[in-house]
Amino acid sequence: MDYIIKLIRKKANIFRSPWIWKFSWMDARHNLNRLLIFISSIVIGIAALVSINSFNFALQEDIDSQATELLGADMSISSRNKYFDSLFLRTIDSLKAETAGDARFASMVFFPKNEGTRLIQVVAIEGRYPFYGSVLLTDSSDIAEFHNGKSVMIDEVLAIQYDIRVGDSLKLGRGTFPICALVRQFPGNTSIGATFAPSVYVPYNLLDRTGLIQYGSRINYHKYLFLKDRDIDKIESVLRPLARQNRYGIDTVEERKEELGASFQNLYRFLNLLGFIALILGGIGVSSSVHIYLREKRESVAILRCLGASGWQVFYVFFIQINILGLIGTTIGIAVGIFVQYLLPQIVSDFLPVSVEFRISYVAVVEGFLVGFIMSVLFAALPLSDIRLVSPLEIFRSEVEPMKKVSKFRYMIIVLVILFPWLFAINQTGSLLYGSIFIGALLLTFICLFLAGIFILWIARKSISDKLGFVFHQGMANLFRPGNQTIILIVVIGLGTFILCTLSLIQNSLLGQVEFAGSGKRPNTVLFDIQPYQKDELVDFTRARNIPVQQVVPIVTMRLKSLKDKSVEEWQKDTTESISRWALNHEYRVTYRDSLIESESLNEGKLRVPVNDTIYISVSDGLAEDLNLKLGDQLEFNVQGVPLKTYVGSIRKVDWQRIQTNFMVVFPSRVLEQAPQFFVLITRIDTREKSAEFQQSLVKKFPNVSAIDLTLILATLDQIFDKVELVIRFMAIFSVLTGLFVLTGAIANSKYARLRENILLRTIGALQKQLIGMTLVEYFLLGTLAVISGCLLAIASSWALVRFFFEIKFNPEYVQLMFICLVIIILSTGVGWINTRSILSKSPLEVLRKEI
Amino acid sequence: MEFILKADQLCKKFKADTREITVLNDINFQVKEGEGISIVGPSGSGKTTLLGLCAGLDAPTSGTITLMDIPLNRLSEDDRAYIRNQYVGFVFQNFQLLPTLTAIENAIIPLEIRGEKGGAKKAMELLDRVGLSERISHYPAQLSGGEQQRVAIARAFVSNPKIVFVDEPTGNLDEETADTITQLLFEMNRELGTTLILVTHNYILARNTGRILKMKGGRLEQE
Repeated sequence: MDYIIKLIRKKANIFRSPWIWKFSWMDARHNLNRLLIFISSIVIGIAALVSINSFNFALQEDIDSQATELLGADMSISSRNKYFDSLFLRTIDSLKAETAGDARFASMVFFPKNEGTRLIQVVAIEGRYPFYGSVLLTDSSDIAEFHNGKSVMIDEVLAIQYDIRVGDSLKLGRGTFPICALVRQFPGNTSIGATFAPSVYVPYNLLDRTGLIQYGSRINYHKYLFLKDRDIDKIESVLRPLARQNRYGIDTVEERKEELGASFQNLYRFLNLLGFIALILGGIGVSSSVHIYLREKRESVAILRCLGASGWQVFYVFFIQINILGLIGTTIGIAVGIFVQYLLPQIVSDFLPVSVEFRISYVAVVEGFLVGFIMSVLFAALPLSDIRLVSPLEIFRSEVEPMKKVSKFRYMIIVLVILFPWLFAINQTGSLLYGSIFIGALLLTFICLFLAGIFILWIARKSISDKLGFVFHQGMANLFRPGNQTIILIVVIGLGTFILCTLSLIQNSLLGQVEFAGSGKRPNTVLFDIQPYQKDELVDFTRARNIPVQQVVPIVTMRLKSLKDKSVEEWQKDTTESISRWALNHEYRVTYRDSLIESESLNEGKLRVPVNDTIYISVSDGLAEDLNLKLGDQLEFNVQGVPLKTYVGSIRKVDWQRIQTNFMVVFPSRVLEQAPQFFVLITRIDTREKSAEFQQSLVKKFPNVSAIDLTLILATLDQIFDKVELVIRFMAIFSVLTGLFVLTGAIANSKYARLRENILLRTIGALQKQLIGMTLVEYFLLGTLAVISGCLLAIASSWALVRFFFEIKFNPEYVQLMFICLVIIILSTGVGWINTRSILSKSPLEVLRKEI
Repeated sequence: MEFILKADQLCKKFKADTREITVLNDINFQVKEGEGISIVGPSGSGKTTLLGLCAGLDAPTSGTITLMDIPLNRLSEDDRAYIRNQYVGFVFQNFQLLPTLTAIENAIIPLEIRGEKGGAKKAMELLDRVGLSERISHYPAQLSGGEQQRVAIARAFVSNPKIVFVDEPTGNLDEETADTITQLLFEMNRELGTTLILVTHNYILARNTGRILKMKGGRLEQE
């Protein structure tokens, strides 16, 4: 029977063998430059991670510390009614707190100086608001005039757009007011918000002079409380039930912080995931560069094994080298990350409601250090685990089977290499689901690219022919020759292409969605706040200017009184029912008609006319879901004090993306005609000049009517996307840079495989230009095939994302896509060429002497 | 311990694609302590494979190889490495010096692996003995072929091995240098009383040992 003897000997121990440390240093002192790619991969990965995490921490801390400034007060109460409930007001008075207020609504502004018009947000301020934070003004501004209640202030963005200066005037509704100040920053407002709908700040006492407050005007009234050092929770607990009764909204600093945290969640996730991608690519870079390094070390390892070094001893020799370099790379990465974090707030400042101060987050630094260490250990351990199994017989022959094909250690490393990025993704996204989805998607991409690589190899093998000529034949054959790096390069280049193309395709589709809505004969201008007495005159006014009136839609506002024979108050108290609170409290804007419009289709039931005073309404599928409605369910509305009982007659699917007047609730005709209402007019104006001209005359003749110009929204969206694009591109640089290092590493890897045969070809007379041609053909084919794989995968994934996640039309911009692909192909061919240039310039004799 | 090395029905097969190639077949021989033997034969006869098995660099497919009464084929690779470090020295045709280490560092490495202190003095003595005391700080690339082989000889004897395996020691050297190296190798072997196993196709070189084993087609043909 076979038996195994175990010798009693001291096991290799990294700490008890000074030789391992000494040899590690002696060997490394001549090879440090070989591990440049390894260090670079760690530097980039960790820099991305530290800068992003540090910025995230700083942003969260600044939101915390500046939260009172975001609200401008300790508590805000919002209402759609100008007059707050008397009991509620008495309760507030009893608090003996300083109060202020404002009214906010959309309207048109007209600048007489240059006849410019624009949709803006009116902020009519009463009292000493904001209590916290300061209003940042331009130098020439004079806020005293505003406080005196004689002048208005406007956002600086608006002033720049229309070339307005302090001292000029503006027309708001029926009133004309001098401008005393230009606002650079108002607490709680973002620059990007000002780009979209800039604000005009009006003293509250001037509001009546505008004549803009009419029926149907969608105005938000706020009351602000200054409760410095008082128990806000206690006050909130007193006010909350009263507010609920009156359907007022209450916002505290804590809530605003949570809301902001939630709205920044996507930004955090996006940045975190970019950091994650950089780290994964960095991991591939680490593995790839250590693999190259160890390939060159195999002969030395075989000698050491021959002289009696154990597998673990040689493992530790290189493990020490790599980890010390890993620590150096991590430290440099942290320093670079801190520098990048200094730049980040400046790049994303437009999107932030708070000013983010530069500061070093020690949590991010420690996290970066740990991740860098784990990354260098783990990703290097994969190729390192092979070195343990190098046979001493490699002294005689280079092609020797490893001593063991499988080892528990190697399996353990593979499991950890998958587990670490998974746990890291969960940590970065803060969600098991998102982290798992992301790592799953990444794995799927890897698998797809890997399979594409195998398929490409198979195709190359099948389609190669002598007819291609020596240079092309050799270049193509290099794709599948022993020691080829085709699959790893397809995966690496393909992944980079995939990321960049997916970002570009999603952006195209989001932008295309808006452009699509504004194309053809679709409406592009909406006039709103039209009073009944103005309707006919406005229709004539529009038609007189050769502008078609596509729709005039009546709108009646109402609130829900009861649902399924149970009052809204009872529903609110019932915590067992899963009915959306917003849907119970919402002020509904409904229309009446007997047919569907282009953006609607019926899911269930049909549009029905009233039968024996029974009113059948049509609800949107979303509302039906939120209120748990089915056909025949009863809803009672309060229409300006008049109760109106209705039943669900149909459920509609509504395409909310379309520029239409879409409604959650549609009444049949002959029910609401006599109710207080206002109108919306929808039209299409083909040129910007015509639109500007129309808006100017509209503001003069109908000052209370506002116009939403889709072309302006498009232009604004374009600006916003440009800024978003800048942020994405800036962060994507990390991924691209890491990708380039990985690419260089992978190509350098293949360089050694090609070295000997290129030199031999030169020895037997191949011309340098033939060798250059072969190299270019090989890397061009590799780049092209990898780019095609990555691009096709990006088209598939972005189609799925656009279709199922964003739920919009897939609108790829193929010219832009081709440009990205072309750049990557040129880049990969270029990097391949630069890497192999050194081989081509070597003398054949050098190689034949074995002194490479 | 009557024999330092015993090979009993040694057989080694390799797989090439689907075929199985028998490189060594039914090899039997013994070597006494302090004895010098040569294994000769044409290229492809299995000499180097046999040296690899005897030195514990590889394990046989079947049969037993016993070094110092230890059955090498029953040891793990790391245990065989330990045995090599404790009892075996090597001299190779291509010198096989570590390119990133100086001459003295190369010579000392078996003792370093063993964890033995004070190795530098011994390595220095040996380098002096092989005539390289002036070049101890040179890297292999800065040494000639003959000088590199001298360093390799110093490294082979530095750990006081019981047995030294030598594979074509003069194969890469010119005639004059080859003679010097041969002389040095056998002189040191005699001085230190080491067992020596020489693999070569050079019969003149083989005659320096007491016994010659002749191989052909993976078998020991005659002694």
